[in-house]
Amino acid sequence: MPTTSAPDEHLRLEGIGVSFGAVNVIPSLDLSVRKGEMVAFLGPSGCGKTTTLRIIAGLNKPSRGSIMVGGRDITHLPIHDRDMGMVFQSYALFPHMDVSHNVQFGLQMRNVPAREAEKRAAQALEMVQLGHLAHRKPKELSGGQQQRVALARALVIEPSILLLDEPLSNLDAKLRDEMRVQIRALQQQSGITAVFVTHDQVEALSMCDRVVVMRGGHVEQFGTPTEVYERPATAFVANFVGRTNRLKGALTAEGILTGAGQQLRSATRLPAGAVDILVRPHRIRLQETGEADNKVQGTVSTITFIGDLVQYGVSVGGEEIVVEEATRRGRSPLAAGDSVTLGWSAEDTLIYPAGEK
Amino acid sequence: MSAAPALPRAWRDGQLAVLLLLPIALINAIGFILPVLNLARYSFNRSRIGGGIEQVFTWENWVGLLSDPFYLELVLNSVWISLAITLTTLVVSYPIALYLHRASGSWRTFLTVLVISPLLTSAVVRTYGWIAILTDDGPVVSAIKALGLPAPSLMFNIKGVFIGLTEILMPYMILALMAGFGRLDPRVEEAARTLGATPARTFRKVILPLTLPGIALGCLLCFVLAVSSFITPKLMGGGRVFLLATEIYDQAIVTLNWPLASTLSILVLIVFGAALWAYSAVLRRLD
Repeated sequence: MPTTSAPDEHLRLEGIGVSFGAVNVIPSLDLSVRKGEMVAFLGPSGCGKTTTLRIIAGLNKPSRGSIMVGGRDITHLPIHDRDMGMVFQSYALFPHMDVSHNVQFGLQMRNVPAREAEKRAAQALEMVQLGHLAHRKPKELSGGQQQRVALARALVIEPSILLLDEPLSNLDAKLRDEMRVQIRALQQQSGITAVFVTHDQVEALSMCDRVVVMRGGHVEQFGTPTEVYERPATAFVANFVGRTNRLKGALTAEGILTGAGQQLRSATRLPAGAVDILVRPHRIRLQETGEADNKVQGTVSTITFIGDLVQYGVSVGGEEIVVEEATRRGRSPLAAGDSVTLGWSAEDTLIYPAGEK
Repeated sequence: MSAAPALPRAWRDGQLAVLLLLPIALINAIGFILPVLNLARYSFNRSRIGGGIEQVFTWENWVGLLSDPFYLELVLNSVWISLAITLTTLVVSYPIALYLHRASGSWRTFLTVLVISPLLTSAVVRTYGWIAILTDDGPVVSAIKALGLPAPSLMFNIKGVFIGLTEILMPYMILALMAGFGRLDPRVEEAARTLGATPARTFRKVILPLTLPGIALGCLLCFVLAVSSFITPKLMGGGRVFLLATEIYDQAIVTLNWPLASTLSILVLIVFGAALWAYSAVLRRLD
């Protein structure tokens, strides 16, 4: 039975499952996406994020469950009746048509009169700053330009949902940053509901209203970028979204004890037992002089200069803790072998039952 | 000696290329170009009774050929039947090639071997196979009779030649189509579907245009093979189907009129030239 849905819900997945023979690729997936929001499916390859996207588009058939768009069940609707705009990782432009006809294709399929289709395609191309390339063939365009044509082609039909399958992974770093901003701007201008598949946490956190972190065909956490980063629901999420230190320890009546015997405090409540302790490298202060919830002594073992960051490897009772600090000019850097006092707060000490990956 | 290494290097590479191309150039010159030139020469010689060739220059063969309605009909007939066979072969081969293109793994390998396997037996054997199947008391005619329908005559007429040649040409067509299907990316088909194209419109607007290079190649290949096919029309036509290749055989071996046979052969070459021109025109338009 459908649970209560948000009043502005647009897309809803209910018990979506995929099985190949006896293998459950996706056991059962529930998800609710609001109208006008951009949601990222984030996870490692093989987590089922692309399969789920393709199920929404109708390109893959779910073994069970249903898909609702705007309250209407579209589970058994053929692909061409679903009204989705999809941007493929490889762009999938029609190589035998020029840019303008690529963009017009969806309009032609909707039997829009030729002159109007041409006009709307020109507007869509103007929107992605490619109006001047309307008569080029796709192979004459750069990767970034092809990407924008694919975006224009998907948006011009004013689809009910925009689906993006790793759209930026074939672009170089600089172009990726530009396209990230541009796609987000276009999505917000048009107020379209969008689902964005990516394995890149930066894309997911920076572009999307909410992030679905997936693993092994199920949802690990569904929340805003801040929630996912600051309050990861599982150790997997903490590890996958952002860098983190991981220490073994035990939760006892007295508090948390690390393997090396230090006592730590955490804001998280858990039943007693073996735990994994996770702390983000940049939340640790390297030379703690004041009060801190958690203070440990260590020795600097490695120093790596990364440009905007300096990464220190600090050995604490036989375990290595990574600490990151912003590079500051004129500050005498530490040397390997120096003794340091690490400090961090209880809120930044995330604990999870041991063994969770 | 590093003064000018670039030029001698390029020159050496050029020499190597010539050296590597020489054997095939020689074989082609001796085995193909010379005989064709010889044929062209014979077509301007006069034939004597009993197979002799009179070494004079004459337009007789060409004039006779072009003014005789029998030969005009023969050429048109051959071209027309070959085109029809090519088209039929295309229609029956296209779905197979598309399926093979989309299949993957060992299933694809197995099916590809299955498609190619007819080429392991000679066209003669396969033609006799078709004769056994299509003959008046063969399985096909018997089955039609058993259904109470009037028995068709499928052997020793154009129908038999048509059926036999279509099957014999299918492996070539399928291989040529598959070779030309490279541009067909499944993602592009999916893109068309998500943009609202029904399967039929996806086929017409995306799959068909993208597979045209393969279609053109397959049609050229099968048309050329059909026009020049000899064994199948000879055996299955039972002497009642007159095509260019069989007529050349009859003129050269039965009537011993080599100049006329040569003239017909050159005519076939001209037809091939026209087919090649049409093919490259299609490719130019696609580009």
